[in-house]
Amino acid sequence: MSVNTNDIFIVGAARTEFGRFDGEDNELAETAVRGALADCGLAWSDIEFAVGGTNGETKPDNLVSRLGLTGLPFVTVKNGCATGAVALMTARNGLIAEGLDVACVVGYDNHARGAFNVSPARYGLGDWYGATGMMVTTSYFALKIARYLHEFGISQRTLGYASAKAFDYAQEHPYAWRRKPVSVDEAMDADMINDPLTRFMFCAPDAGAVSLVLARGSRAYDLCETPIRLASVALRGRRPGSFEVFSPWLSPGDRTSPSIDAAKAAFDLAGITPADVQVAQLQDTDSGAEVIHLGETGLVAHGDQEAAYRNGEFDINGRLPLNTDGGLLANGEPVGASGLRQVHEIVAQLQGRADGKQVPGAPRIGFTHVYGAPGISACTVLINEGAQS
Amino acid sequence: MSIPVGIEVVDPTLFTSVAPVVLAGSMCGACGAHVFPAMDSCPTCSSQDVTKVGLPTEGTVWSWTTQHFAPKPPFRTDEFAPFSIGYVDLGPVIVEGWLVGKTQWTIGEKVNLVLAKAWTHEGAPVFTFGFEATT
Repeated sequence: MSVNTNDIFIVGAARTEFGRFDGEDNELAETAVRGALADCGLAWSDIEFAVGGTNGETKPDNLVSRLGLTGLPFVTVKNGCATGAVALMTARNGLIAEGLDVACVVGYDNHARGAFNVSPARYGLGDWYGATGMMVTTSYFALKIARYLHEFGISQRTLGYASAKAFDYAQEHPYAWRRKPVSVDEAMDADMINDPLTRFMFCAPDAGAVSLVLARGSRAYDLCETPIRLASVALRGRRPGSFEVFSPWLSPGDRTSPSIDAAKAAFDLAGITPADVQVAQLQDTDSGAEVIHLGETGLVAHGDQEAAYRNGEFDINGRLPLNTDGGLLANGEPVGASGLRQVHEIVAQLQGRADGKQVPGAPRIGFTHVYGAPGISACTVLINEGAQS
Repeated sequence: MSIPVGIEVVDPTLFTSVAPVVLAGSMCGACGAHVFPAMDSCPTCSSQDVTKVGLPTEGTVWSWTTQHFAPKPPFRTDEFAPFSIGYVDLGPVIVEGWLVGKTQWTIGEKVNLVLAKAWTHEGAPVFTFGFEATT
C-alpha cells in the first residue's frame, strides 16, 4: 500500500498481566508504557503527546514524574468502561489536530475486590435507589440479558457457551487472570448470582495496565515492521430507548443502543461491513453482554447467537474468532485498561504474534467494542495494510 | 401530596399517594414521554414543560432477576434474603422496582403496585414500592 501521512497507526503495544496487584497503580502504568516504548524502540523523550485513562483516584498525567519531565502535553481521560477507547481516540485526534507524529496512550486501574460500589448521587438518583438494593450492576446485566433472551428466543445455555469459550481461550493466554477451563455444564450449574447469570458468567474488577504507541503514516513503517492502521474509532452516547445501568425507568417502544450507533459509525468510517471482520473483541462484562453485543454490532444477526456458538464460529478456527484473550470474563476489568487490552489483542492477532492462541490465515481486519455506564460505547476498526510499497 | 401519618416511606417524592399507593412520574407536555421518578425536564426532548402525574398501578413483568447476594451499602435491610427486581411495563413507561412474594417470575406476568417493607427504623417499618403477582 502507499501510506497516507494522515493515517494513524499503532506501532508499539504492551500489557501487564491482569489480576490482583498489591503495588501502586502508577507502577502498573509505568510498566506498560515502558513495554510499549521498547516494543517500537522509542524513548519517552520521543513521545510528543500522551493520554492516560483510569477510573480510579490516581492522576495519569502525573506519570511524567516516573517517566520523565519532558514537558509534553498529557491529557487525562475518565469515561467509565469506555475509558481505554476514548483515550485512544483522544490520542489519534491529538496527533491529527496538533500535526504531531508520535503519541503514547496508557490505561490502567487497580480495583478493590467485588462488585463496584457506587453512590446514587453520582448518577443523579435519590438515596432510596441504593438503599433498596437496586444500585447493583450485576442485577442490571441480568435484567438486560433476561429480556434479550426472551425477545429473540435464545436459550439460557447460550450464556454457558460464552463462558466456556472465554476460559478456553484464556487457558493459553499468559496475561489473562482466570486461566482454568470451565465447561458449559460447570458454567450453567454454578452458584446463581442474578438469574439467569451464574458465578462463571461475570467478570470481576481487578488490576492491569495496557499501553500503545501511535504514529502518523509518515513515521509508522520506520518504527514498526507491521504497523496496524487505526482505520476508525467512534464514540457514541445513549438515545431514548436505550437500556442502561441504574435506570429507574425505561421508555417503551423500540430499543436503541449506543453500541449499535458506535459500531455502525466505526464500520462506515472505515469503509467496511461487519461481514469483513476476521477477529473481534466485544465488551463481555458478563456472558449476556457478549451475546447482546454480537447482535448490536451486527457481527451476528439477533437470535443467531446460539447456533453460532454451538457451531464453533467464535473459536480460533471459526468464522469470527472472538475475545481471543479470554475477554473481560477471563481478564477481569481494570476499567481504564480494558478497552486498550482489546486493541492490544487485535493488534497482536493482526501482526501474527498473539500471546495466546493465534488466529490462522493471517487475518487483516479486526474490530473492538467497549460499552459501559452511563450509556456510552466506542468501537474501532484495525487493519493490517501489509508491506509499504 | 397525601402521605398519611403513620406510613413511613423510603422517599415521599416517589409517590403521589401511599394509601392507595400510586407512583409519581412526570409527563412531558411537548412529546408525551413519561419518566419515573418525576423530573424537572424531559430527557427525551429536553423540554421543561413537564408535569407530575400518577402512574398506572397495573402492568406486566418486562424483565426480572433475583438478587442472590446481599448488595453492599448503601443497601439497607433488617435481614437479607434473596429478593427479585424487575422492570414492569405500565404502558406509558417501564418502571424498575421490587417484585415481591416470590423469587421466580415469567416475563409477561400480570402484576400490580403494592407497598413493601424495606427495613425497620426506630421500631417502625419503612416502606418502598413493589409489584406483586395479580391474583
